[in-house]
Amino acid sequence: MTIAGVIGAFVVLLAIKTTPIAFAALGGTLGERSGVINIGLEGMMTAGAFAAVVASGATGVPWLGAVAGVVAGAAFGALLGVLATRVRVDQIVAGTGINLFALGSAAFLLVLVYGQPGASKTVPSLGNGSWLLVALAFAVALALHVFLVATPAGLRLRACGENPSAVAAAGIDPLRIRLLAVTAGGALAGLGGAYLSIGELNLYSDGMIAGRGFIALAAVIFGRWTPLGAMGAALFFGFFEALQFVLQGSSIPSEAMQMLPYVAAIVALVAFRGRARAPAADGIPYERNIEEF
Amino acid sequence: MTDVGGLGDRSFNDSAYAGMQRAARDFRGFIEVLQSRSAADYQPNLTALSNGRYDAIFAIGFLMNEDLAAVAGLHPKQRYAIIDAVVDRPNVTSVTFKEQDGSFLAGALAAMVSRTHDIAFLGGMDIPLLRKFEAGFIAGAREIDPRTVVRVKYVGSFDDVAAGKELANILYDSGSDIIFAAAGRAGLGAMDAVKDRSGDYVIGVDSNQDALVPGKVLTSMIKRVDVAVYRVAVAARRHAPLGGHLVLGLRDDGIALSDFRYTRAVVRPQMRKRLEAIRAAIVDSRIVVPFTREGLATFTPTPL
Repeated sequence: MTIAGVIGAFVVLLAIKTTPIAFAALGGTLGERSGVINIGLEGMMTAGAFAAVVASGATGVPWLGAVAGVVAGAAFGALLGVLATRVRVDQIVAGTGINLFALGSAAFLLVLVYGQPGASKTVPSLGNGSWLLVALAFAVALALHVFLVATPAGLRLRACGENPSAVAAAGIDPLRIRLLAVTAGGALAGLGGAYLSIGELNLYSDGMIAGRGFIALAAVIFGRWTPLGAMGAALFFGFFEALQFVLQGSSIPSEAMQMLPYVAAIVALVAFRGRARAPAADGIPYERNIEEF
Repeated sequence: MTDVGGLGDRSFNDSAYAGMQRAARDFRGFIEVLQSRSAADYQPNLTALSNGRYDAIFAIGFLMNEDLAAVAGLHPKQRYAIIDAVVDRPNVTSVTFKEQDGSFLAGALAAMVSRTHDIAFLGGMDIPLLRKFEAGFIAGAREIDPRTVVRVKYVGSFDDVAAGKELANILYDSGSDIIFAAAGRAGLGAMDAVKDRSGDYVIGVDSNQDALVPGKVLTSMIKRVDVAVYRVAVAARRHAPLGGHLVLGLRDDGIALSDFRYTRAVVRPQMRKRLEAIRAAIVDSRIVVPFTREGLATFTPTPL
C-alpha cells in the first residue's frame, strides 16, 4: 500500500473507532451537565445495539433499526432519569443496575427472538449509510455546544447541574429538566450502540459493546463536561485504539500495545490536571424544599 | 452439566450434548442435563448430580476444575469427567485437546492456498490456550513454505465482534489473504469482513463454521467435544478404571479440519493429498507440533 493508502485506511479506522464512543460520550455529557451521572451508558448502548438489530431484521429497513436504537436508548435513559429524580436512588447504583439489566435482558430476548444464545442472525446493515452517522456525531457535538452555550434552555440545563435550587426558585422544575436531559443522553448512547450493531456490523452478539460505554464515561470527564471536549476525547481514545490495532504484532508484546489507549488517557489527565471541574451538583439528588416555594 | 454458555450455543456445549445423546442411543441409557447460569452454580449442580446414581458425570468447561476437584473428593466412588482442563483426582477423567495439531494443518493449508504468501492469525485473548493455536498455525505454514509471512494479532476479548472485524480488515489490507480466526464470537467480525472481499478467506474454529459465509470460509478447525464425551461414556459403560488424562488429537478424530464442502474449487486434490500426508506424519510423530512460542522458535520443518 502507498503512504496515502495507509493514511487513508487509518483515518477510516479512526472514524469507525471514534463514532460509537462519541455518541455515548455526548449523551453522558448532556446528563452530567444537568446533574445526573450516567454510569449506565454501556447498558444504553447495549439496548440500542440490540433493538436496532431486531427492528432492522423485522422490517428489512436498517434506518428503522437506527430509529429503534435511539428509542431503546432513550427508554433506558428515561429509566435512569426517573430513578435518579423521582425515586432518588443513588445514581451510581441505578446506572450499574441499568448496565446489568440491559445486558441480561438482551441475552434473554436474543434466545426468545432468534432461538439461539450468544449471537443473533445477520440482518440488513446500513452499509455505506453508516458514514452519515459518523458525520452526525460531529454535527451533534457542534449542535450541543451551541445549545448549551447560547440558548436559554441550555443555560437552564447547565444551571440544574450547578445549582438546582436556583432553577427551582426561578419557577422551573429542575427534576423535569434532568429527566429530559438523561433521556436525550440515553437516545444518543443508543444510537452509538446501533452504529456498532447495524452500522459497522450486521448482528447483535452478547457483550459486543465491550466496555465502550465506560470509555465514553472517561471521555466525558476527559472532555471536561463539554460536548466539544467529549468529541475530542472520543477522537483521542479512537486514535490510540486504532494505533494499537495497527502496531500490534510488531516486536512489542500485544499486552503492552493493548494498554496504550489507557496509558495515553492517564498521561493526558495528569497533563491537564486542575483545569477540569465537574458541575457542582453533579450526582447529587435534588430534593424539593418546601421553603423554596 | 454445562458451562454458562449452555445448550444452544452451536459450539462447545451442544457438541458435548451430541456426544451424550449418541452414547445414550447406543447403550439405551438416559441423560440428565443441568445448566449453569453462573460460576456460582458449578458446585451446587455437581453436588446435586453426585447425589443421583449416574455412571458418569461430565463437567463441560475448564472453569469448573476447582469445583469439580472439591466435589469429586467428597464422592470417591463416583466417576467424573472434565473437558479442557486437568483435575488430578483418582475418579476424574480429564480430557484435553491437541489444538496445535489441527492448527498446524490449518496453517499448512493456508500456506498452500495463499497467493500473496502472507497469512494471519487472529486470536481472542493472548493466553496459553490460544498460543497453542498460534504456534501450531505458524509451524504448519513453515512446513509448507518458510518464507510465508504469518501476521499475529489479538482482539483482547472473545466478545468484541467490531474489533474482530477492524483487525481482520487491517490484516487483509496489509496483504494477508487468509486469516485463522480463533477468537470466539469476535471471530464473527472476521467472517463479516471477508464477505465482500474477493480472493480472501477465513478459517473457522471449534465448530464447523463453513456455512456462515459459504465459499469464503476455507475450512474450520473442529474440536470434537462430542467424540471426547462419547469415549468417556463408553469407558464408564465398560467399567474401565476411573481417572486418567485423555488427550485427543488428529489420531482419534478429536481434532479435525472440516470437509471443504464450499471450497473444493480452491482446495485442490493435490493439496488435500498433501494435508493427508502431513496429518499421517503428525499422527505417527514424525512431525512434533510446537504448542508454545518457545517451542515454535526451535521448530524445523520435516521434509515429507
